[in-house]
Amino acid sequence: MAGMELLSDQGYRLDGRKPNELRRILFKKGIFKQADGSAYLEQGNTKVLAAVYGPHEIRGSKSRARHDKVLINCQYSMATFSTQDRKRRPRGDRKSLEMTTHLKQTFDAVILTELYPKSQIDIYVEVLQSDGGNYCASVNAATLALIDAGIPMKDYVIACSGSYIKDTPVVDINNLEESSGGNEVIMAVLPRCEQIVFLEMNSRLHEDHLSPVMDQIMAGCRDIFAVLNQKVQEELCQKAALDKLVDSG
Amino acid sequence: MAEEIRIVQPKEYYKRFLEKDVRPDNRELAEFRPVVLNIGCVTTAEGSALIKIGNTTVICGVKAELAKPDADQPKDGFIVPNVELPPLCSSNFRPGPPGEQAQVLSQTMADVIADSQCLLSESLCICPGKLVWVLHIDLVCLDYDGNVMDACMVALVSALRNTVLPKVTVDEETGDIQTDPTTRVPLQVTCCPVATTFIVFDNKLLLVDPTREEESMATGAVTIVTEGDNLCSIYKPGGTPLTENQIDNCIERAFTHGREVCRLIEDTLLSVDR
Amino acid sequence: MAAFTVVKKEDLEAQQKEESVQSLRCITSELGPLTQPDGSAVFTQGDTTALAAVYGPADVKISKELIDRATVEVIYKPKVGLPRPVDRKLERIIKNTLEAAIMALNHPRSLISIVIQETESLGANLACCVNAACMALLDAAVSMNFMVAAVSAAVTDKGEIILDPVSRVEDEARAVLTFVFDSVDKNIVTVITSGQFSQDEYKKCLYLTKQACDNVFSFYKDSLSKKLLKSA
Repeated sequence: MAGMELLSDQGYRLDGRKPNELRRILFKKGIFKQADGSAYLEQGNTKVLAAVYGPHEIRGSKSRARHDKVLINCQYSMATFSTQDRKRRPRGDRKSLEMTTHLKQTFDAVILTELYPKSQIDIYVEVLQSDGGNYCASVNAATLALIDAGIPMKDYVIACSGSYIKDTPVVDINNLEESSGGNEVIMAVLPRCEQIVFLEMNSRLHEDHLSPVMDQIMAGCRDIFAVLNQKVQEELCQKAALDKLVDSG
Repeated sequence: MAEEIRIVQPKEYYKRFLEKDVRPDNRELAEFRPVVLNIGCVTTAEGSALIKIGNTTVICGVKAELAKPDADQPKDGFIVPNVELPPLCSSNFRPGPPGEQAQVLSQTMADVIADSQCLLSESLCICPGKLVWVLHIDLVCLDYDGNVMDACMVALVSALRNTVLPKVTVDEETGDIQTDPTTRVPLQVTCCPVATTFIVFDNKLLLVDPTREEESMATGAVTIVTEGDNLCSIYKPGGTPLTENQIDNCIERAFTHGREVCRLIEDTLLSVDR
Repeated sequence: MAAFTVVKKEDLEAQQKEESVQSLRCITSELGPLTQPDGSAVFTQGDTTALAAVYGPADVKISKELIDRATVEVIYKPKVGLPRPVDRKLERIIKNTLEAAIMALNHPRSLISIVIQETESLGANLACCVNAACMALLDAAVSMNFMVAAVSAAVTDKGEIILDPVSRVEDEARAVLTFVFDSVDKNIVTVITSGQFSQDEYKKCLYLTKQACDNVFSFYKDSLSKKLLKSA
């Protein structure tokens, strides 16, 4: 498409961001009463809800129970009105199923699963509005919901996407940049130990370019982590101070 | 100690409160929970609304598509409401196809739209026999803390009032469909039906706007849908038999509540600039 | 006050005619037409017919078991095709209505299953189904808190009220209201409405249907006593 420059000559992207700039992140933990942990997260125009139930007794077939670790049950669903064209099925289509498996694999790697043998943890993610980076927003929201539920994890899991446009690695791509046919790299990392839990790449990218993109994404993940961690810690401190006050009468 | 009684003997726990005409969440028997309404919160939808009644949260999104009308009703568009109760909203719901409750709610929404005639299917006609709008009204419950029916209804009406469709014309000769995204036409929503739900506790007391806990202990429920000074629906599916007076009382309260909710929707709509 | 009043023949006829507008259609029934269920009944109201069968109290699946009372299950079968969402709603309404009537606390950890087959739906279908189910429960001798009787009324465009409407009247009517009453205090067990109506019209419908439900209750009594006399 002419006239649609993903990266202008001055080095700005379509929505006016710099290549290494993230979209605005807003979030709130503990929004729902019914769930054991919940979180709402906005990354630009992508809005995601996550709810965590458990650990609880295994539901459904008991044969799924593992004697040495907890069973993690994920469901990724997109509201039918979340995309420009109406989605026929909110879940159960191939893309959602793929996303569900990816989420499950990601969180299997970071939750301390051996602590709750023969039980189950449910992670439900609902995308309310989608503008690219659904997986990333889902992972970040689910991480916050797990923190809210008080489930022990090795570290935060932070996901971020990136691409390589006009010889420049860009971070946190939106729907337009995603759908323009360029390459896309998605990473989920443990920001404190800098380990990669999940890595996915679509379409062609030169071998030499992979590592700058990954570095850029890693930097993006660290930034997201800083944003989330700061607020989480603040809230925790406030809560602790309040509890102390209550305890002392 | 109180929390233990609440779990082990919920009914006793409630009785002790209700004896003093107050509910465990500090409400009076006839008091509604605070309502928060946010209209136009999902930009990918043609119209949307989010409502919180106490903890209960429902989001509604309206998506429009073009379709060919049925041959026997060439002027009628399609209105398809659908209520979802995903496992996200409560541990009582399991993943899988929609349960009975969700199906009944979806049907009730369709019935209310038809009964109140708040949106006529003829108004969705673009070119008779050739092209009509299909309105998919998807309601997703995000947090289930009772009284989802009332919440769904407010969300539905607000989202419909918020909906704007692009102007579409059909070329008479070539049959080409032309969309003009610059001109946007709001839907013709003629009225504002409001539902009010009561439950019967212990076969005698009437509680308005029940929480999930109260619903699970209820021996019966009545939902009254009002529209201005008219009744759109009285829905009392079984449960404890009620006297005429009790139902009349409910109707009176439903009228007052209906007017209040209508005002809330109007006020919120005014504050949303488009 | 005169001891005798002369009633003219024309007056009487006119009165009967007026009554026929404001009374139920002809009710007939057959108790126990099916041999396999514990109780069954065909209930006909004008041309609307429903067949109900009751199984129970019987064994219940563990997943559906309630520890303090019987599980009541209603299965509604439409005339053709699979149950649609409309039928699921109907099913739910009938289930909740019968749950109130049945003494479920007497049979903990058991199942009372009611199957209703729509045979002919020509107006007041819900009312007919509820009545058929109640008769089938009576036939099965399931202990009940009270009997239930359902009566429908339609409000026309002009505001006239027609009791027990046929399907043509239902289609043209502005609103249709169905009431279910209990046999003890004549309180309202169920109200289901469609269409718009005023509070005044609601009250009129309630008044008329309440009077008409007595006919249904006495009909229950008659048919049951006939059957019992026969078997004795």
